[in-house]
Amino acid sequence: MAQLLVNGLALGAAYALVALGFVLIVNATGAVNFAQGDLVVAGGFLAVAAAPLVPVPALVLVPAVAALMAVIGLVLSLVAYLPLSRRPPVAVFISTIAAGLILENGVLVLFGPAPRSAPPLIGGGVVELGGLVVARQSLAIIGVAVALIAGQQLLFHRTQLGRWLRATAQDAEIARACGIPVVSMVLLTFALAAAYAGTAGLLLANQFFITPSDGGDLMLRAYIAVTIGGWGSVGGAVAGAVLIAVFETVVAARLGHPVATGLLYGVVLVILAVRPRGLFGEAAGRRA
Amino acid sequence: MRGFGGSAPDDGRKAALPITVGIVVWLVSGLVATGTPYDLRVLTVAGIYALGALGYQLIFGFAGALSLAQGSFFGLGAYVTAILGTRYGLDGAATLPLAMLVPTALALVVSLPVMRLQSHYVALATLGIGQVVSLVAIHWISVTGGSNGLAGVPGFAVFGFAVPRGVPLCLVVWALVGLGVLGAAWLGRGRRGLVLAQMRADPVVARSLGIDTTRLGVGLFLASAAYGGAAGALMAHTQHVVSPAAVGFGMMVSFLTMCVVGGRGRIAGAVLGAVLLVHLPEWLRGFAEAERLLYGLGLLAAIVLAPEGLVGLIEAAGARLVGGRRAPGERARPAPAAPLPAAAAAPAPLVVERLSRRYGGIRAVDDLSLTIAPGSLVGVIGPNGSGKTTLVNLITGLAEPDAGVVRLGDRRLSGRAPERIARLGVARSFQAGGLPGGLTAAEAVVVALASGTPARVARACLDRVGAGEVAEVPCAALPAGARRRVELARLLARAPRVLLLDEPAAGLDADERARLAELLVAERRQGRSLVVVEHDVPFLAAIADRVICLDRGRLVFDGPAAAVAADPAVRAAYLGCAP
Repeated sequence: MAQLLVNGLALGAAYALVALGFVLIVNATGAVNFAQGDLVVAGGFLAVAAAPLVPVPALVLVPAVAALMAVIGLVLSLVAYLPLSRRPPVAVFISTIAAGLILENGVLVLFGPAPRSAPPLIGGGVVELGGLVVARQSLAIIGVAVALIAGQQLLFHRTQLGRWLRATAQDAEIARACGIPVVSMVLLTFALAAAYAGTAGLLLANQFFITPSDGGDLMLRAYIAVTIGGWGSVGGAVAGAVLIAVFETVVAARLGHPVATGLLYGVVLVILAVRPRGLFGEAAGRRA
Repeated sequence: MRGFGGSAPDDGRKAALPITVGIVVWLVSGLVATGTPYDLRVLTVAGIYALGALGYQLIFGFAGALSLAQGSFFGLGAYVTAILGTRYGLDGAATLPLAMLVPTALALVVSLPVMRLQSHYVALATLGIGQVVSLVAIHWISVTGGSNGLAGVPGFAVFGFAVPRGVPLCLVVWALVGLGVLGAAWLGRGRRGLVLAQMRADPVVARSLGIDTTRLGVGLFLASAAYGGAAGALMAHTQHVVSPAAVGFGMMVSFLTMCVVGGRGRIAGAVLGAVLLVHLPEWLRGFAEAERLLYGLGLLAAIVLAPEGLVGLIEAAGARLVGGRRAPGERARPAPAAPLPAAAAAPAPLVVERLSRRYGGIRAVDDLSLTIAPGSLVGVIGPNGSGKTTLVNLITGLAEPDAGVVRLGDRRLSGRAPERIARLGVARSFQAGGLPGGLTAAEAVVVALASGTPARVARACLDRVGAGEVAEVPCAALPAGARRRVELARLLARAPRVLLLDEPAAGLDADERARLAELLVAERRQGRSLVVVEHDVPFLAAIADRVICLDRGRLVFDGPAAAVAADPAVRAAYLGCAP
């Protein structure tokens, strides 16, 4: 059981990075980024492609993949957000569906449909921790994710840039009136979200393999995490992601993956039916 | 949360339908006369997609909801057909109705919770439904054949009469598309079409005008499911194989792309988008692997470069040919004599009893009691954040009180939906108006009329507020002052017993303010109760019977307007020092 919990936490740590990027974009644009899952896939395949070029502790890949993904995120925002910034959020919903389709099929054309795996971060095998046998990779995933989430918190709450980013997310109109370069902040948010998603792809691609069509499921997990955690709440998104992953891992171990996934969606539908504003209400203001 | 509103003005729209229908008829007839069997097959498939996309247009284009379940409805119809066809040997006479019925039943079960949701949850909930349907299709192997799907579905036949492949099947499919077009046109015509435009532009404002947006949304969602199911049945009979791909997200994205590329909210757009996107891979042979990549690029290009789609481009070109937009006022005719709608029920006092509402730790409205007699005009003042708008929201049902109750006469308002409260004779304005940009001023007022009221009454309402000359101008082209007048006309069209106005004088010049004051006094004489939230105390002093002042959700003053400025509690509320 404890073993299972560690596996669930590792999966949850990776999901948390995806959900974090997702909620940052929700706050900055009022729109859902449907391409978030395909950014994870892109990051995973970047790692797969780069693996032969670097020596095995693939930890060095983290900054490289993050940087490349930030560039992809920037391109995504320039193409799919910037031209639509004055249109209702639903236009961005649709443009990111399109961008996701392009990313997914771009990866498919380049790499083919087979599942691939990226190298482990600090080597394979297991370590013993207080009588518990734990995969090295699981620990590495949790470590990297915690560091990155802490980094985001530091950036947002301890720096001037972070204050600008938060101001933009809270109310773009007021932020603009205060002289904050709102458009640049939104672009930066996309870059950050893509970097985190891509890193999650690198983390997931070792233990869980990755295929070009995985994006949809990953995006849905992030979507659900943000809904469970309170629409717009960053901490809630992270907590929601971990909760989903543990739920999935534990249920899947007993009843198999299809049941776990089905149950997850079932629970979400019930939550939405009973609490139309999500489990903990909405943190994002009504932008009417 | 807003829908995606802002459709193009109407000019040229009338020209677009015949043009597009003409193109499609030409395409179909040309291919039927001269096409190879392969061409015919592609055209048949295009017709099937057109039917599914038409259904999607109803929920996505007409209702403005980003449902992502159309692929599931389509696939469900296909599976129902495949199971009935292969197991029980049933033909189209049974499969087509049942394939429409089963997705509609699913839609009915999920629609009530889903259609109440805000748009970002509608997308999630419908995606979740799709995932569950998909999981069932893959894992319920004994019924669905699992990943392999079901093969050997018989061709399309009705009561034992087989419809041969080629020209006959193609014609049958396109005849059904024709029926689908007629059905969609009926759903979107007349006053309902105008109401839908308001609902897309701003669902909250629509509800405050007495429009039951949930019912409209559910109705269109059910219709979209029936269309999707019919398309799925035809696809199963045509391809003879059904696999889990039929219920997948890819199918959903196809319908979405067709509607956006063709033109969102336009019937012709769904058909044109389907024909184009089904033929595109055929025209671009050699890119076969990258077909989905092209879909993505097409969708992105459409949403960024041509937000109104191909049909929108045709409309714009048509409007230019016709001679551009008419000058404002040119179409204005002398106002036909029509009386203003009279209040449906007798005047009654509005009673607010010990009303409270918290947001987090903030008491927005705190134990507030208030009675407003029929035919009186009450001004509401108070510093920013003192709870004025929350009070209006609580009375009109946009917010639920934590404690206390609001009554109109002997009817309890609290706990009712905004549209129910509106229908009891309560009308309100918003600080930001939510006029549908694509409708003319007159059409925007027609939206607010009770059903059965002749449309010319809208003109009388516009004349009443001095906006008769802009009746035929699209709302998007109206200057700010005219917009406010049209919003007011819309409220008069509701024939309200109680009229709540949230900062009606904001942004008006001195002349406009004077006219507004005159109008409000005249409305009060009709026996309406008016509640006017304003910062402009002299404006209120001239018209109000009494003024109330709120501070941090509490009532700190209730008395004649003349005394308000001198009152110590009011001064303390504004200046922030203890009384």
